[in-house]
Amino acid sequence: MRYCIIGGSAAGTSACEMIRGIDKKADITLITDEKFALYSRCLLSYLLAGSINEDKLKFKEKDFFERNKIEALLGVRVEKIDSKKRELGLSNKKKVTFDRLLIATGARPKEMGIPGEDKKGVFALRTIEDARGILNRSNKGVKRVAILGGGLIGMRDAYALGHKGFDIKVIVKSGQILSQMMEKEGAEIIEAHIKKFGVDVMKGLAATEILGKDEVSGIILDNGNKLDCELVIVGKGVAPNIELAKDIGLATKEGIIADDYLAASQDGIWTAGDVCEAKDLVTGEKTVNALWPCAVEQGRVAALNMAGKKTKYEGSQSMNSLDLFGLSTISIGVTKPKGAGYEILTSKTENSYKRLVIKGDILWGMTLVGKVENAGVYGILIRNKINISDYKKILLRDDFNYAKILPLIKKEAQKFCKPEFQDILLTY
Amino acid sequence: MTDKKQKKGVKIFCDITKCLGCKACELACAVEHSKAKELALSIKEKPTPKKRRKVSGVEDKIMSFGCQHCEEAPCVAACMSSAMYKDPVTGETKHDKDKCVGCWMCIMVCPFSAIIQDVTDKVAMKCDLCPDNEDYACVAACPTNALFSGTPEEFKRRVEEKSSPAALKRTKIKSGV
Ligand SMILES: Cc1cc2nc3c(=O)[nH]c(=O)nc-3n(C[C@H](O)[C@H](O)[C@H](O)COP(=O)(O)OP(=O)(O)OC[C@H]3O[C@@H](n4cnc5c(N)ncnc54)[C@H](O)[C@@H]3O)c2cc1C
Ligand code: SF4
Ligand code: SF4
Repeated sequence: MRYCIIGGSAAGTSACEMIRGIDKKADITLITDEKFALYSRCLLSYLLAGSINEDKLKFKEKDFFERNKIEALLGVRVEKIDSKKRELGLSNKKKVTFDRLLIATGARPKEMGIPGEDKKGVFALRTIEDARGILNRSNKGVKRVAILGGGLIGMRDAYALGHKGFDIKVIVKSGQILSQMMEKEGAEIIEAHIKKFGVDVMKGLAATEILGKDEVSGIILDNGNKLDCELVIVGKGVAPNIELAKDIGLATKEGIIADDYLAASQDGIWTAGDVCEAKDLVTGEKTVNALWPCAVEQGRVAALNMAGKKTKYEGSQSMNSLDLFGLSTISIGVTKPKGAGYEILTSKTENSYKRLVIKGDILWGMTLVGKVENAGVYGILIRNKINISDYKKILLRDDFNYAKILPLIKKEAQKFCKPEFQDILLTY
Repeated sequence: MTDKKQKKGVKIFCDITKCLGCKACELACAVEHSKAKELALSIKEKPTPKKRRKVSGVEDKIMSFGCQHCEEAPCVAACMSSAMYKDPVTGETKHDKDKCVGCWMCIMVCPFSAIIQDVTDKVAMKCDLCPDNEDYACVAACPTNALFSGTPEEFKRRVEEKSSPAALKRTKIKSGV
C-alpha cells in the first residue's frame, strides 16, 4: 500500500506515525513545502519573544522520518492531484503515486488587500521564515510596531514584541480584542492589563494603506490619521489551503468537508488539521477548529481509517489558551452565543473573571481570565453535555475544582468511559 | 532509583471513604518539591514551594487528588512543545520543564485539575511521582492510609477486599458497631 501525505506539520506527522504503527510494510511519502521540518508553529511567538531558541521549536526528534521509515520530501510543493491516475505532480517536476492520500495542507494567513502590503517590513506570522524575518527586521532599529488585527495571533505577536520593549499599537476594527474568542467584558480586562506593558489597543479602526518607499514607514488609518511605524504585522486570521482539493472537485466550504471518518468526498482521500472542516462536538456542525491538538488528533484518526481501522472521529472542541504578560485566559466551547435561550453567569474578583454560557441546564461554553487552573474540568462538562442544573453556583465559585463535580460524574458515569474517571469513582 | 518506581502503571489513588481532609499530603508534596526537602527550611524558601496535590470537599465527603497519569493523556495530546510526554516504560505522564513554554494548553484539557501554574518560571507543574524519593511523599504522609500507590488493578483489589462481607464485619467489630 502506498500512502501519501501532503503537509508535514501537526496533522501530517501524527498521521505518518499512526500509519507506520499499524502497517509496518507500507510505503509512506510525506511532502511538505517547508524546508525546516518538524517544528511547532505555535511556538513561533515564543521564539519572537526570545523565550526559546530554534532548537526548541522541534516537536519531534531529529530522526523521526528515518525511524518511522518515511520518505520525506522537504521543500517540495504538491502542485496538482490527479485523482484518476492516483498521482501527485510536484514542484520539482517529479511525480509520485498513491493508493491513499491525506491532505493536511493547513492554512495560511489572510491578506489585508490594501496598498503597500508588499513593502519590506510587512509580515504575517505563520512559518519559521516569517519569524526569522520579523526577528531580523526588529533588530534593525525598529521602535514602533503596528499589529493589524486583535485576534489570537495578533495578540501573541503583540506580547512577543511588547515583551522585548517595542512600542506596540494593535489596530482592531471591532470594539474589542479577541472577538472570536470571548465577550467584551473579558477582553477589556486583558486590554487593560497589556496596556501596562506598553501594548496599546486602538479600537474601531482599520489600516487602509501601508506607507513607505521600499520599506514600511507607517500606516494610514480609516479615520484619515497616520501612524508612524517601522514594522507591520498582519494578524487577520487564516484561510485553509483548499486549492488542491478544489481543483479536483472535492467538497469544500471554508475547509475541505470531512465525514465522520475524516474522509473527503472522493474515495481514497482523507483530510485533517487546519484545512479540515469536521464535526464540532458542542454545536454538532461542521467547523474548522484550527488548533494544534485538533490537528494531531485528526491526523491520528484519519490515519487509522486510511490504514483500514475504521474509527469514528468524535469531533473537535473549540477552545483556546492565551497568556499575555502573566495574565492567563482560557475559553472553551460557545462563548458568544447567538440566538435566544442562553443564560449567562459571571463572577469577578480582583484578579479573575469567569463567564459561563448555559442553555437548558447544560454548560455550552466558558471563559476564564486570571485564574485558569480548572479550565479542563469545565471542558469535560461542556464536552459531555452534563446536566449542571443544581451546580450553577458551584461552577461559579472561586474554589471550584474537579472534586466539586464528582457527584455529577457519578450520576452520568456512562459518559465517562476512560478508566481514570472510573478509578476515582471506586470509593465514592 | 528503586525498582518499585520502574513498575508500569503506578499512580496515586485516594480512598474517599478514608480521607479526613487533614491536608498532610498537600504539605508533604510541597516539602518534597522544595529545595531543602525539609519542612522547617522549606517554608522559608522563596518562591514558596508549591503542592501538586489538592484536598477538597466533595459534597459531604473529602478527597485528595492529583495527576491520574491518564493512559490516553489529554495533556500530552495538547502539548505543542512535547514538554508533556509519556514514559515508555512506566506509562507515567512526565513533564519536561525545559521544553515547557507556559501556554497552558495542558490545563485547558486536563479533566482532573491536576496541573498547576508555576508563575515564577512560567511553566506547568504536576505530580511527578516523587522521582527523588524512594517513597511517594503524599502516601507516606497520609495518617489514615487513604492514599495508595499502585496500579489501577491493585487499587481495585484493595477496594473490593475492603468492601467484602468479611472485611466489613471486621471494621464493624473494630469500631464497636
Ligand atoms: C504563531 C502561531 C501560534 C499558534 N498558537 C497556537 C496555540 O497556542 N494553540 C493551538 O492550538 N494552536 C495554535 N496555533 C495553530 C496551530 O499552529 C495550527 O492549528 C496547526 O499548526 C495546524 O496544523 P496542520 O498540520 O493542520 O497545518 P499547518 O501547520 O498549517 O501545516 C501545513 C503544512 O503543509 C504545507 N503545505 C500546504 N500546501 C502544500 C502543498 N501544496 N504542497 C506541500 N506542502 C504544502 C504548509 O507549508 C505547512 O507546512 C498557532 C499558530 C500560529 C501561526
Ligand atoms: S495532567 Fe491531567 S490530563 Fe495529564 S495525565 Fe495527569 S490527570 Fe491526565
Ligand atoms: S504549559 Fe507547558 S506542558 Fe502545558 S501544554 Fe504548554 S508547553 Fe506543554
